[in-house]
Amino acid sequence: MTRPAPALAPAATSGPSVTDRLGYSAYFLVALLLAIIFLMPIVWSFANSFKPAAEALANPVALFSKAFSLENYRRLENVGAGWYVYAANSVAIALGTVLLTILISVPAGYGFSKFRFPGQSLIFMVVMATMMIPFQSILTPLFLVLKILGLQNSLFGLVLVYTTFQLPFSIFMMRNAFDAVPGALIEAARIDGASQWTLVRRIMLPLALPGAATVAMFAFLNAWNEFLAALIFLSDQTKFTLPIMLVNVSSGIYGIIDWGALQAGITLTMVPCILLFLLLQRYYVRGLTAGAVK
Amino acid sequence: MARLQLKNVVKSYGIHEAVRGVSLDIDDKEFVVFVGPSGCGKSTTLRMIAGLEHISGGEILIGDRVVNRLGPGQRDIAMVFQNYALYPHMTVAENIAFCLEQQRLPKPEIAARIAAAAETLHITELLERRPAQLSGGQRQRVAMGRAIVRNPKVFLFDEPLSNLDAKLRVKMRTEIKRLHKLLPTTTVYVTHDQVEAMTMADRVVVMNRGIVEQMGEPQQLYLAPASKFVAGFIGSPSMNFLPARLVAEGDALHILLDDGTRLAVPAARAATLGRHAGTAVTFGIRPESIGPRQDRPGWAPLDAAIDLVEPLGATTMIYFNTGSSSLCASLNSEGAPKAGMTMPLSINMTQMHLFDPQTERSLTA
Ligand SMILES: Nc1ncnc2c1ncn2[C@@H]1O[C@H](COP(=O)(O)OP(=O)(O)O)[C@@H](O)[C@H]1O
Ligand SMILES: [Mg+2]
Repeated sequence: MTRPAPALAPAATSGPSVTDRLGYSAYFLVALLLAIIFLMPIVWSFANSFKPAAEALANPVALFSKAFSLENYRRLENVGAGWYVYAANSVAIALGTVLLTILISVPAGYGFSKFRFPGQSLIFMVVMATMMIPFQSILTPLFLVLKILGLQNSLFGLVLVYTTFQLPFSIFMMRNAFDAVPGALIEAARIDGASQWTLVRRIMLPLALPGAATVAMFAFLNAWNEFLAALIFLSDQTKFTLPIMLVNVSSGIYGIIDWGALQAGITLTMVPCILLFLLLQRYYVRGLTAGAVK
Repeated sequence: MARLQLKNVVKSYGIHEAVRGVSLDIDDKEFVVFVGPSGCGKSTTLRMIAGLEHISGGEILIGDRVVNRLGPGQRDIAMVFQNYALYPHMTVAENIAFCLEQQRLPKPEIAARIAAAAETLHITELLERRPAQLSGGQRQRVAMGRAIVRNPKVFLFDEPLSNLDAKLRVKMRTEIKRLHKLLPTTTVYVTHDQVEAMTMADRVVVMNRGIVEQMGEPQQLYLAPASKFVAGFIGSPSMNFLPARLVAEGDALHILLDDGTRLAVPAARAATLGRHAGTAVTFGIRPESIGPRQDRPGWAPLDAAIDLVEPLGATTMIYFNTGSSSLCASLNSEGAPKAGMTMPLSINMTQMHLFDPQTERSLTA
């Protein structure tokens, strides 16, 4: 009772107890199982995309094939205008959406967070309320608007549509990111003689970067994966995006599905998303929890 | 190097007046401490000096220039915040350099000034770290480094030590004083801790409910508080206050407590108090001014039935009742009584204070 320290010391050096290790092993197994369940579709797509077309069709379950082949990818070149045209369209639309979303949501979030103006909470509520409107329900009016603007069948028109639907969440995200920057930091910078512009560039933006990364990431993924609006608003073969290409591959000629080419297309579509996620993940996780803990 | 003047400064938030006409004249190189209870307007006043709050009325002058319309960056002041407000994404060196970069100083000069400030504050080996990698005391030093490196006209501190533990607080207190000796600069320091105020200040400003109760040297506030509020706020433990009447008997004056105890007012003090004879007063006496019975001129006897005894080491606090009031006395621990005993005490009436019960202003200061 008088000397708890020596009694504890040997226990601490002998490592975790048997039950601890059992618990850890069980946890590890469950996690591994879940990871496999989630990763298998990706691995299968990836594996099949590199098989010869016939083998991909005959034996899709096998993960490994003796014959490594780029045949599926070559066949994608013959789908419509060729996969690289669709990939380029998708990249242009996704990056355009990211750029426009960031350009608008960062200043908007800053404004909502750090300035007080009449009608502020009302405007913010209206912006947030648009999140409640299902995208699909206003496709027709959107189509009409784009037609009037002469932007139907245009990649830029689609970027505008995607940005519009990306903004409520993004503004909300950026407002929270700027809210999380303590007021005293801003005051310290003002006393240090920073101009409004220096304040934003040197203090606010670096601190809100996780939020901005999250916003960019969601904008990219949503624009990259979106199918319905792209299908409706784009009518030129040369303007289609990757998701539309995938449908065209899978509905193939004579209704026969070319599984190999489809997996190749899916792999091409997934890779940028996975890379982006891995690249931004440390920001992304911090961004989602920003302001949750102080 | 600058004098700092506040002329009838007012701050209102809607209908609520947080600062109600504060006038101060702070000399060049003077170390002034604002002290008062939480919510009395200390921070608001400081932030108006800094330019972080709009001034609702009155004038603030730094040097000979009215700064009401100048932004915080143009006032040539530096401020240390309660939570330090270090830029978390910058290293210590970058934190300190930030204000110099805003002044567009040449790189070599910035480097030299950072090195000098770091040397002064003993943070040279921390320069490449980030704030998250520093302890509370180190952050405090960096915040001060950021303030001194720009060599401002006025230093402002808003409760800079309140996030530190008691021991470190005492240490940093002396360091801030040492720094002020080393780099004499006009300083306004806000705290709610009267010990900090008394130990650090050249002059103390006691604030209460948005007004200045009294401004003066620490010893002056202790010896001659201008109001009951100052008397109760300055000094620890707090001054005792008792309802009483001032009664005249011939040439002599007495304090008549509500239990009938009569305390003779020393002749030296009776002269100025004569005109209040016959009125109700609040009698104030510090715990240090009550001691064991002694038969000396100026001391008045009082018998105390001791309720509670608190030994503090060198001194012992004793608590007892007189009429409807509870009193506290601070005695030398040698020969201190035990609870339940009755002890003959004496009150040093030369150190008594009298206050008007209505206005609470001092009648003796
Ligand atoms: N932004 C504000 N809006 C409304 N009232 C405020 C604001 N800031 C301070 N106050 C009020 O002003 C008074 C003084 O506050 P402050 O100067 O912070 O006190 P302290 O002496 O504790 O530093 C308090 O009553 C506080 O509630
Ligand atoms: Mg305060």
